[in-house]
Amino acid sequence: MNRPQTDVLIIGNGFAGIVAANRLAAAGVDVVLLDENIHIGGQLLRQLPERLGSAANHADYVKKAGQRFIAGVKSKKITVMNRTRVLGIYPEREVLIEENEKKVHTLKAERIILATGAREKFLPFPGWTMPGVISGGAVQVLIKGSGVLPARELLIGGSGLFLFSVAYECLKAGASVRAVLERTGVADKLPLAAQLPLQLPKLSEGVRFLSKILFSGVALRFRNRVLEARGSGRLEQVVAAKVDASGKIIPGREKTYAIPLLAVSNGFAANVELAQMAGCDIEFLDERGGWVTTTGADLETSVPGIYAAGEITGIAGALKSINEGEIAALAILNKMGKMGEAAFHSRLKKLLSARRRHLRFGKYFNLLYRVPAEDYLAIPDETLICRCEDVTMGELRQAVANGYDTPATLKIALRTAMGDCQGRTCGPIIYDILAALTGRSQAAMTPLVVRPPVKPVTIDSLASFLE
Amino acid sequence: MTEKNTAPAIDPGRPTENLRVTSIRRRPAIRIQVNGRSIEATPGETVLAALTAAGFKVLKKSNVRGEARGPFCGMGVCYECLVTINGVPKQRSCMTEVEDNMEIQTYEPPPD
Repeated sequence: MNRPQTDVLIIGNGFAGIVAANRLAAAGVDVVLLDENIHIGGQLLRQLPERLGSAANHADYVKKAGQRFIAGVKSKKITVMNRTRVLGIYPEREVLIEENEKKVHTLKAERIILATGAREKFLPFPGWTMPGVISGGAVQVLIKGSGVLPARELLIGGSGLFLFSVAYECLKAGASVRAVLERTGVADKLPLAAQLPLQLPKLSEGVRFLSKILFSGVALRFRNRVLEARGSGRLEQVVAAKVDASGKIIPGREKTYAIPLLAVSNGFAANVELAQMAGCDIEFLDERGGWVTTTGADLETSVPGIYAAGEITGIAGALKSINEGEIAALAILNKMGKMGEAAFHSRLKKLLSARRRHLRFGKYFNLLYRVPAEDYLAIPDETLICRCEDVTMGELRQAVANGYDTPATLKIALRTAMGDCQGRTCGPIIYDILAALTGRSQAAMTPLVVRPPVKPVTIDSLASFLE
Repeated sequence: MTEKNTAPAIDPGRPTENLRVTSIRRRPAIRIQVNGRSIEATPGETVLAALTAAGFKVLKKSNVRGEARGPFCGMGVCYECLVTINGVPKQRSCMTEVEDNMEIQTYEPPPD
């Protein structure tokens, strides 16, 4: 069998991936750029497929830059493989990939850039598994990628700026938003504000979101928390309450909304699973948004030849991802002898100073919107935590009390993180819950080991590898 | 579905409201089969989007308790939107685009 090879394999074609691909291909480097999604661009640059139709769309400065990067990828000699998943990364950068959920084969890469992005995080409450409760990201994907609303009217709850972005997208698409329930209060935002560096594109985006939301008459309810989703087999009612600064429900301030759709979101978790499987060190940093991939200044991970760029090194948004895509690409060009030391170090110095700004920006929001331990401790026993294996908070509490107080022992005791999603949804929640229940820092915790295949794969698909 | 559906094509669970964003100029619709019945879809939509627009809220049942579940993450992470597509079970409807005459089977909860 002829074994396919490439100079650089980039996993993930969101911002970091497409920036790196452009830079490398422009220097004549052989690049394979793959992603699990159907279309190039990752989550932020998601747009209507050409064959669906067209709509007038406002693209801000960051999205316009993204569209230029995508056009750049398409115009260059880059092997782009979408709907392609990485099942495993083995020593010497031998990568097992699955194309189109059908064909499995290996690819040998001289270097790899992990640009796998992030996924949403959630704070479970009774009923959050009921049909009609969906993630804020799902709402955006349906609207931006397919032009379909999840409902004509919805409620949005959780924590983070992303809630407002979801509200904005809904309003623009003609849906009505009953209210946005945000966990933090205006006063919580001030003590940290001094750390916030000015980021003009972000600021103008925020102003655009807020003005649309305010002019549409959406109720913005701060220090509000969703307590329960009710309904028989599908969502009918949402119970929420006003909470005080410590998260305690203020008596008499509960409110019931009759609504068929609730969108929830509590920030993001970096997709570090492939980095873990490749043997790269990961670390827990609150200011970066949780578990992230450890890198040096040139974004090389602890495994030589494997780099990490974008949200997997810390949650901070598109500008940091663009910056890191560039850094990783230049570092590789330098290593390949295609960029001289002096030129590299002078470019790197400028990029690193911008990166520090992006990280400070991320730190502000990561610390502000971090779900506090009290909120996890307040989760009622009957609440499901692991959606795949139907494991409840009560079972988790009991297991921890019985001494199963690490991610690995909990997995053995309760099968948490052993279902189809392989812990991608409940994993970050369980780490947070364990920290809250035991009072130990996550930094001292050993996260779950990741084994191939990192995503469920059919036997038929695997069999294609042997043919 | 292999069994013949002789009943006239009716859109099941059609929402009383149109969930497709009206400001989009769509290409002509195609038809897909869901649980043996024909519904409308637009090329380029995900299977999940087409099911959502047709009013489907429940797509599978949970592994242990058998509770009704619907789509959750919308981006291939949670595996809550699994359906059977053209006979292949456990496909993520959010990660697959519709094709003309595609056959989809969802879990159908028992009537109330």
